[in-house]
Amino acid sequence: MMDFITVRGAHREYQTASALRGVDLEIAGGVWCSIVGPSGSGKSTLLNLLGGLDSPTKGQVFIDGVDLRTLSENEMARFRREKIGFIFQQSYLIPYLSSLDNVMLSQYFHSMTDSSEAEEALKRVGLGHRLHHRPSELSGGEQQRVTVARALINSPKILLADEPTGNLDRENTKLIMELLKRLHEEERFTIVLVTHDPFVSKWAERIVTMEDGRIIKDEPLY
Amino acid sequence: MLLSLLKHSFLRQKKAMAMMVVSVSMGTAIAASLIALSMDIKGKVSKELRSFGANITVTPKIEGIAGIAGQRRYLREEDIIRIKTIFWRHNIVGIAPALEENAELSYGDKRRKITAVGTWFKKELPLPGETAKFEAGVTTVSPWWAIEGSPPEAGGVVLGSSLSRELGVREGDEVLLDERPFKVTGIVETGGIEDGRAFLDLWDMQQLKGLPGKVSTISVSALTTPMDEFAYKDPSLMSRKEYEKWYCTGYVTSIAKQIEEVVAGGRAKPVWHIAETEGIVLGRMSMLIYLLSAASLLASALGVSTTMVAGLLRRLDEIGLMKAIGADGIQIIVIFLSEALIIGTAGGIAGYVVSIGVAKVVGLKVFGVALSERALLLPVSVAMALLIAAIGSLLPIRRALKIKPAVILKGAR
Repeated sequence: MMDFITVRGAHREYQTASALRGVDLEIAGGVWCSIVGPSGSGKSTLLNLLGGLDSPTKGQVFIDGVDLRTLSENEMARFRREKIGFIFQQSYLIPYLSSLDNVMLSQYFHSMTDSSEAEEALKRVGLGHRLHHRPSELSGGEQQRVTVARALINSPKILLADEPTGNLDRENTKLIMELLKRLHEEERFTIVLVTHDPFVSKWAERIVTMEDGRIIKDEPLY
Repeated sequence: MLLSLLKHSFLRQKKAMAMMVVSVSMGTAIAASLIALSMDIKGKVSKELRSFGANITVTPKIEGIAGIAGQRRYLREEDIIRIKTIFWRHNIVGIAPALEENAELSYGDKRRKITAVGTWFKKELPLPGETAKFEAGVTTVSPWWAIEGSPPEAGGVVLGSSLSRELGVREGDEVLLDERPFKVTGIVETGGIEDGRAFLDLWDMQQLKGLPGKVSTISVSALTTPMDEFAYKDPSLMSRKEYEKWYCTGYVTSIAKQIEEVVAGGRAKPVWHIAETEGIVLGRMSMLIYLLSAASLLASALGVSTTMVAGLLRRLDEIGLMKAIGADGIQIIVIFLSEALIIGTAGGIAGYVVSIGVAKVVGLKVFGVALSERALLLPVSVAMALLIAAIGSLLPIRRALKIKPAVILKGAR
C-alpha cells in the first residue's frame, strides 16, 4: 500500500543548477516530518513539489494516491485548496485585509466564506482579540499565527511549512511550535516542515536530512 | 469576499483606477459621439445631398399598343399630393411636376421651336386629412436654380439663360408662345438643358396645350436609406418577410414602389446616379465613422491594458499567494473581470455623458443643428465601455494566469 506522500526519483533541474537529484521519500498519513539541511540543499524545492507549486523535471510525486503530474493547472489549484495548507517563512498575508479576511480568503477560494468559522480558527491560535487588525498592526508571531489559522481553515490533510519560524525570535518560535503541536494532536494532519533550526526540527516525529539535492539521512524520533 | 477584494483594490490604486475610468470614458465618449453622429448624419447628410436634385422621377407608364404607336400618356395632377400619403411620406421633402411640350417661341421677328415646361416653382399644397401644408415646386427639388427676376405667375414665363441671350429677351419683355402673349418675369440659369427652355406656370401650360389636369413627369426628392446588397434584390423574388423588410426600409427603390402605388398610371424610377452617389457617400461616411469608433475603442483598451498590467506588476505577490492557497484560473479571472466590470460601467456612464456634449458641439459645428440626445446610447456606451475594459483586461489576465506561485514566493523572499 502506498504511503500518504510518496516521492519517486524526483529531480528538479533549473537552467543553471540542479535543486533535486533523485529524491525518494515516503511519509505516512498523520506523521510530522521535518526536513532539514543547509541552504541550497533542496528542502524548499521538495516542499514546493509536495504542494504542487512546482513540478519535478523527472520522477513522480503522489499525494493521497494522486499522481500530481496528471493534474491540470486548475485541478492542481483545486487539489491545493482541498488537501494542503501552506505556511511560509514570511507570513505572506494580503496586507490590506484584516486577519479575519485573510483567513476567509482561503475559505473563499475553497468554497464559501463563513466568518464565524474563521473567527473560531483565529481564536484557536490565540488571536481572538486581533480579528480586525491588518498584518501591519500585528507582530511577526501574530502574523504567523494568522497564516496557521488560514492554512488550517479548510481542514487540509497536509500542512506544508517552509521555515515557519525563520523570522521569529525564540519566544515566538516556541509559541508557534506549541500551537502546531496542539493542532497536530487534535487533528492528526500530516505535517512536512522545512527548517534549518534544530530547535524546530525536534518537534517532529521524523527528521529527513538533505544535502546537495539528495536525502542523506532519514531518522524517526519516536 | 470578492467585494472586499475589489473595494481594497480600488482604494489602494485610486490613481490607476481613475486613469482607467478616464481612458474608458474617453474611448466610449468618442465612439458614442460618432455613433450618435452616424445615426443622425444619415438624415442630415441625406438632406444635404438632396440639393443634388430629385432622386425619383415619375413618368407615365406606357405599355402595349400605346407604346408601339408612340401614343403620349400623362399623369394626373391630382395624384401629386398623394405622394405625401405613402408609408415614407415624411421622407418626401420635395415634389415638382412638369408638363413638357414642344412650342414655338416668338420675340419680334425671331422664332424658335423650343421645349416649354409647365411647372410650379413654389406652391403650397394642402395635405390630405391634415391642416398643415406641403411646399412643392422646383425650388424644393432643384434648389440650385438661379432665377434672375421672379418665378412665372399666371401669364408669365421664365426663359432659360441661353435661350434669352439667343433671342435678346430681357426680364419684362413680352414673348409669344404658340401665338399667346406671355410676360418674361425672369431668366433662369441652371447650367443644364433648362437653360434652353421656357418655364410657365403649370396651369398656363395645361391651358396652352389643352391638357387640363395633366402632367408628364413628377420629380420627387426623398430622404433615403443608402442602398445595400439587400436593397438591390428583386422584390418580386423576395419572401413575404423580406418584402416587408424591404418595403418598410427607406430605400429609394421601396419609396419609388410606394409612389407607383399612389400615382395612377405612373412609373417611378430612381435617378440612379444620384441615388448611388448618396449611397456611396453615406456608406463611406458610415465606414469612416465605424473605423474611427473601433480605433478609439482599441486605443482606450490599450490604455486600460497598460495601466492594468502596471497594477498587476505591483500585485504579483498577492496573485502568487492567492494561487498558492488554491485560487484557480477562473477565480483569478473573476477578480480581474470584476474590476473591469466596475471600470467599464463607470467609464461607460461617464463616456455617455461626455458624448452628449461632444455630439452637440460636432452637430452644431458641422450641420448647424445640435444632434438629438439618444437614451439608447447609454446602454450602448456602457456595453462598449465594458468591451473596452474586458479587452483591456485580456493581457493582464493572461499574465496573471501565467504567474507561478513558487517563483513569486521564492523571488520575494
